[in-house]
Amino acid sequence: MALDFSVLLRFQDALLKGLLTTLELTLICIVLGCAIGFFVGLARTSDNRILRGVSGFYVEFFRGTPVLIQLFWIFFCLPLLLGTELSNFTSAVIALTLYMGAITSETFRASLRSIGREQYDACVALGLPRWTQTTSVVLPQAVLRAIPTLLSNCISLFKESALVSAVGMADLMFVGSNISNNTARPVEVLTVVALIYFVIAFPLTRAVTFIEQRILTKLAV
Amino acid sequence: MNYSFDFQSVTRNFGPLLDGLVVTLQLTAAANLIGLTLGFVVALMVMSRWAVVRWPATMFVEFFRCTPALVQIVWFFYCVPMLFNVFLGSVTMGILALGMNLTAFNAEAYRASIQAVPREQIDAGIALGLNPLQRILYIVLPNAFRASVPVLLTNGIGIFQQSALVAIVAVQDLMYQGKTLATQTYRPIETFTIVALIYFAVSFPVGQLVGYLERRRAGLAG
Repeated sequence: MALDFSVLLRFQDALLKGLLTTLELTLICIVLGCAIGFFVGLARTSDNRILRGVSGFYVEFFRGTPVLIQLFWIFFCLPLLLGTELSNFTSAVIALTLYMGAITSETFRASLRSIGREQYDACVALGLPRWTQTTSVVLPQAVLRAIPTLLSNCISLFKESALVSAVGMADLMFVGSNISNNTARPVEVLTVVALIYFVIAFPLTRAVTFIEQRILTKLAV
Repeated sequence: MNYSFDFQSVTRNFGPLLDGLVVTLQLTAAANLIGLTLGFVVALMVMSRWAVVRWPATMFVEFFRCTPALVQIVWFFYCVPMLFNVFLGSVTMGILALGMNLTAFNAEAYRASIQAVPREQIDAGIALGLNPLQRILYIVLPNAFRASVPVLLTNGIGIFQQSALVAIVAVQDLMYQGKTLATQTYRPIETFTIVALIYFAVSFPVGQLVGYLERRRAGLAG
């Protein structure tokens, strides 16, 4: 069969718009998800049994079910339960944020655990209040150590964001499959869509390796 | 909230959901079979001395790791029949698409643990006069396999979850049956909750097992 990639030129703007939606969604969910993830990570290492139980259940549930079903659940069921309409952007943000929160909390938990007991003891010895201890001692170290894994989590989220096309949000994947259906040229269109995702995700995976090898060893954390 | 739950509309239709679960499990098992075997081969290729072998394998791995699984599956379903003129059943296509994805991820897991096999063990193999194939089969493979079990299990259960994506290209797995049932019964909350719980019931024990294996390994090492 003859491949003709020039059909795609006509759809440049549409694809660009889809890509922007994908990036916007990913960025919003990264910020919100990391914030949730950090506090859930703290909650999972807390002494309070109830806090630990609830946060543990949240994390296990979101890591143990397909993202697609989380998305469907929030898209179809949450409006029924709340009795209000949710735009598909809002439900996509909620679903992906909760997913991101669950996976980043595991990252934060691992990095929190790597902070030595003596650091907490030092905080007690210095008489630092709990809040200062968290924000000035625990947070900076945990974040620094978590950076490579967090970046991997961001890449995962970027890839998972393609799922929102299944609930009709006009992201890159959705635009791509629409164009491919309309032009009957799936090979060209879908290949280009895949390449666009690749071009963004690949440098980020290299960055993860780079940070792991250079920056973290240099800082010796 | 004044929603009256009716879980019976779902439990009455449990048959299709179970059929779907069987398809999902078949997809997972077959994809894991492909991923566990081909993944090791690809890992060896990625570490090969010859660039001709290394480059295609590296590109394969990076490409599958850096694009969304959904794009891969949709691409596979639309483009493979057009490009290569092969027409396979949808379950077979699903298995192949998921299997290739898992191959790439497992290759990375194997590579990391192969590189962690201490150099002296391989030197010992050379000293004992084992040929390269024997060194791989008797020294590298058992060592690397044991070290990578937790990651392989995590990847395997990951593909169980990713397999829900084939519902989008109309393979009749658990997710697809759930979607159909939700539309037929007008009971999305009950249906999707039960479907989510079924996925959870399968993934959770495996996740716990991984945690246990990792703790035991850390205990042995320390």
